[in-house]
Amino acid sequence: MDPQPEPVSYICGDCGMENTLKPGDVIQCRECGYRILYKKRTRRIIQYEAR
Amino acid sequence: MEDLRNRSHADVDYRKLAAPIKSAVDKFQLVPEFLKVRGLVKQHLDSFNYFANTEIKKIVRANDKIVSSVDPNLYVRFKDVRIGNPTEALEGIVEDLSPQKCRLTDKTYAAPVLVDVEYTKGSHGGYSLLEKNDVTIARMPIMLRSCCCVLFRKDEDELARLGECPLDPGGYFVIKGTEKVILIQEQLSKNRIIIDTDKKGNINASVTSSTEATKSKTVVVMEKGKMYLQLNQFAKNIPIMIVMKAMGMESDQEVVQMIGRDPRYSALLLQSIEECASLSIFTQQQALEFLEGKLKKLPYANMSTGKEGRAMSILRDVFLANVRVIKNNFRPKCIYVAVMLRRMMEAILNKDAMDDKDYVGNKRLELSGQLISLLFEDLFKTMISEVQKQADNVLSKRSRSSQLDLSMLLVKDIITQGLERALSTGNWDVKRFRMHRKGMTQVLARLSFIGTLGHVTRISPQFEKSRKVSGPRALQPSQWGMLCPCDTPEGEACGLVKNLALMTHVTTDQEEGPLIALCYCLGVEDLELLSGEELHTPNSFLIIFNGLILGKHRRPQRFANTMRKLRRIGRIGEFVSVFVNEKQWCVYIASDGGRVCRPLVIADKGISRIKEHHMKGLLDGARTFDDFLREGLVEYLDVNEENNALIALYEQDATPETTHIEIEPFTILGVCAGLIPFPHHNQSPRNTYQCAMGKQAMGNIAYNQLLRMDTLLYLLVYPQRPLLTTRTIELTGYDKLGAGQNATVAVMSYSGYDIEDAIVMNKSSLDRGFGRCIVMKKYSAVNQKYENGTSDRILRPPRKDDRNKKGENPDWERMQILDNDGIAAPGEIIRPNDVYINKESPIITKGNPKLGGLKDSDYKPSRQTFKGAEGESCVVDRVTLSSDKNYNLSIKFMIRHTRRPEVGDKFSSRHGQKGVCGTIVQQEDFPFSERGICPDLIMNPHGFPSRMTVGKMIELLGGKAGVSCGRFHYGSAFGEPSGHADRVEAISETLVKHGFSYNGKDFLYSGITGCPLQAYIFMGPIYYQKLKHMVLDKMHARGSGPRVMLTRQPTEGRARNGGLRVGEMERDCLIAYGASMLIYERLMLSSDPFEVQVCRACGLLGYYNYKLKTGICSSCKNGDNISTMKLPYACKLLIQELQSMNIVPRLRLADS
Repeated sequence: MDPQPEPVSYICGDCGMENTLKPGDVIQCRECGYRILYKKRTRRIIQYEAR
Repeated sequence: MEDLRNRSHADVDYRKLAAPIKSAVDKFQLVPEFLKVRGLVKQHLDSFNYFANTEIKKIVRANDKIVSSVDPNLYVRFKDVRIGNPTEALEGIVEDLSPQKCRLTDKTYAAPVLVDVEYTKGSHGGYSLLEKNDVTIARMPIMLRSCCCVLFRKDEDELARLGECPLDPGGYFVIKGTEKVILIQEQLSKNRIIIDTDKKGNINASVTSSTEATKSKTVVVMEKGKMYLQLNQFAKNIPIMIVMKAMGMESDQEVVQMIGRDPRYSALLLQSIEECASLSIFTQQQALEFLEGKLKKLPYANMSTGKEGRAMSILRDVFLANVRVIKNNFRPKCIYVAVMLRRMMEAILNKDAMDDKDYVGNKRLELSGQLISLLFEDLFKTMISEVQKQADNVLSKRSRSSQLDLSMLLVKDIITQGLERALSTGNWDVKRFRMHRKGMTQVLARLSFIGTLGHVTRISPQFEKSRKVSGPRALQPSQWGMLCPCDTPEGEACGLVKNLALMTHVTTDQEEGPLIALCYCLGVEDLELLSGEELHTPNSFLIIFNGLILGKHRRPQRFANTMRKLRRIGRIGEFVSVFVNEKQWCVYIASDGGRVCRPLVIADKGISRIKEHHMKGLLDGARTFDDFLREGLVEYLDVNEENNALIALYEQDATPETTHIEIEPFTILGVCAGLIPFPHHNQSPRNTYQCAMGKQAMGNIAYNQLLRMDTLLYLLVYPQRPLLTTRTIELTGYDKLGAGQNATVAVMSYSGYDIEDAIVMNKSSLDRGFGRCIVMKKYSAVNQKYENGTSDRILRPPRKDDRNKKGENPDWERMQILDNDGIAAPGEIIRPNDVYINKESPIITKGNPKLGGLKDSDYKPSRQTFKGAEGESCVVDRVTLSSDKNYNLSIKFMIRHTRRPEVGDKFSSRHGQKGVCGTIVQQEDFPFSERGICPDLIMNPHGFPSRMTVGKMIELLGGKAGVSCGRFHYGSAFGEPSGHADRVEAISETLVKHGFSYNGKDFLYSGITGCPLQAYIFMGPIYYQKLKHMVLDKMHARGSGPRVMLTRQPTEGRARNGGLRVGEMERDCLIAYGASMLIYERLMLSSDPFEVQVCRACGLLGYYNYKLKTGICSSCKNGDNISTMKLPYACKLLIQELQSMNIVPRLRLADS
């Protein structure tokens, strides 16, 4: 098997802290307790079409 | 020195000095002040605040005790009630709520209802009195921006910090994450006598009584010259004289006296008196016995009402319930009936005395606060009886281990859930009042900012829409200044659904007691002290307070003036209305809630009380609108009191009789109509069309539009503020959240693609960003937990090199945009059929949990794939993770699609002139002027003559002058005299100054030939809106595709990839043309040919026996006369369905 993939981190909607989540975790920021997390932008290179 | 003096002279504006002293004071500034103090949706907020501060306390005080019926010493008493801060308790932690948080996480924005209770505990002799403070009995949904809301009195920075838009009006609720508005309900006023005719043409007087305890409708009707009472509790019409006798008014003479001694009245009453006498009813006892016999039989008989009998109690509590009977004194009620009769007789003798049901003064608007309080009261009473029942259950048990703590029984679920259910479904079910109303709430329209504002000020009617009468739909003159004359939908609800005007205020209830006392102090002669004879003596007016007769006054005008003076100096509430009705010899005083009113400037003998220094104080910020009210410069008039006022439109029009002066005439329009520049130059239906279309325009929704997660969001990429503005635009904030762009429009014919309102667009303008829009759509996924302990799981997607056991990896291409967590990442381009969440669900979700956990084979994939238009690529904009109320992980995706205008997209100006894009032409081929100005779009001049939208032409002129001189021009409604709209002469002057023709026409060259065009072209900027209807969402075609199982016909609708139907009208065309083979092909071959066996003998369908290889008729039981033929499957189905309901269709065959 390949090495464990890098865990995905999420950004807190209030304080901007990066959080990692495991399945079954409560959706909450570790730092401030805010309950809405946002996914980080993709790190792949994206080519958009300007039209 | 000399030089300096000269310069100082130059600074002086001689024209200003030489101008005549401006007598009229510009009162416009009052409008923004008014809106600053009151806001656009103040009526909703006021009504909710009234509920939260006063009404809720009243309700709880009225039902403050829960007493156990088993042990009356055990009780709970509510001492105080209040609404706390919006919070939520999660796993024992109390968290503050903000509206934005609730929207994002699908929660209800609610605050706890806290009570202080006093209760007893113990048993048999030993009782102890205990107290408990801040007990939560319910969670009350909170109206945004009301006094309980966290947004109350927050400035822009604080609002931004809470993720809220400062321009958002509030006045709605957030229920389970969706924004809900309680529409303003329009209804006939309660507790007032209304004279009307019924279907048979009989004149009747009806009173809809509404008290805290009961609601009832009492009708007195004149039938064949006799008066009858109609009441629900009585099976038949009751002669009115019998009712009078039953109430103790045994003397006919007194009744006649009470009605008035005019012989015409007594003549009208004669037949009724005679009828009563012919029934030989002379005493109260006889009358009551008669009534007892006419009562409707109750389903469960033997209701014990004590010795007085049911008829008596109905007369006391149901009949005219708004007139209270105190100590069995029926006299006020008798007088009330007499007044009703008198009003009816007046109407019989003189048709003008009829009441108009459509008159706005006879209407009341029911607002969210009142509706919520109705619901809360009912639920609170339900909760109390529930607690009582529970307590009795516990107490009646023989052995109790512990003492009963009544305060522990106060449950909060009944009220909380009841409120939440009503608000989210819109169904108001109040059992006690037999009220079942549907569609009271709506999801707040967030398509455009103006749409939102327009939605909160909407008024929905109470009566059914199907009735074919034009009366309620027609524009009422009394709507002036209260309801917008333009803003109403077209079609079914036309004229029934209305909108509030800009300055309208809707009143809330005001305390009655002090006002009644005041009336008596001011010389009202008490009803109790008047004999029947004195009631209607000439030169005395009846004083009617909120529908209740207080007494009479001999100098009504003086009384009314005193009341008004007291109101102006602020001794009584500013919304109390005093109305002297000289026709009816009555003075009406109203302090009830739901009346519409508006502020007006008071004038004394035609001279405005507002002087220049007042306005200066306002501009300097030394005064507010409330100061004007307090000082008696401005007052609120309701529709009835307007009848006693003579209102001048402008100060210069005032005559010595004038009592009031309008603040600004454009305030008669509402929010939506206020966007239109020069609406007073347009044909009126065009303004109505624009009111409907302004709500569909794309633009900005709110400052927080990108933080919100709306299911569907339409945005404009480069929104602009209109070049030609109105005052209303500035007041509502449309200039900050515009929904359109200033396009340079050439009014000319170009190509053939501009017929029927189509517009020709400049391709380079589109490249520059004209009409470019963003469509964002929300997709959500929930990681569901199931009852057997299993749950969904989100998996790492297979990558390119991964292989499963069989060595396959079919799906990796569709899952490229997923991160390692199985969720699509923001910024990725997503195409149709891409997976945005790689979720798997357990196969077994019910029953007992499986031991040893689940294996991979116990899951089935439940991936969610993106379905968008083929060939279009969208972008994942944002992905949020949150937990829903069942603590499931819920993931929301916003997917963004940027679109540029294409042929078929819908555009409109602000004058109800909509059109689709007909073609897109290269800029090289577009006409251009000598200055190099090239239009963004070309509009066909045929759009003007029949539509008569002169306002659009003036907008073009004004816009052109505006861009030339660098100043925004104004076009407020009726604004020319007051300077809030520029005149065409002034605009033309500016145009000439900047080298344009005065008439706005330009000299253009053809872009194709390079030759000058034969005519001068009317060209300039017009504000254009892009409407949400776009071809991409509508275009649809199909060859073969899905079919409905039952009929084998193609499915219907674009969403199901349905077919296009050759309908009966299309069929008619083909028949008329004689294209028989085409019909045959459409209906048979392309549809669904089906081979059937038909029996020539009986004409029924048979079947094909595969063993015998013959067709057999099942009714003839043989295969002798079978023919094989083809039918559409649907036809065969029809035959069979008819057979199944005992209709036999028989086929008769002939040679073709």
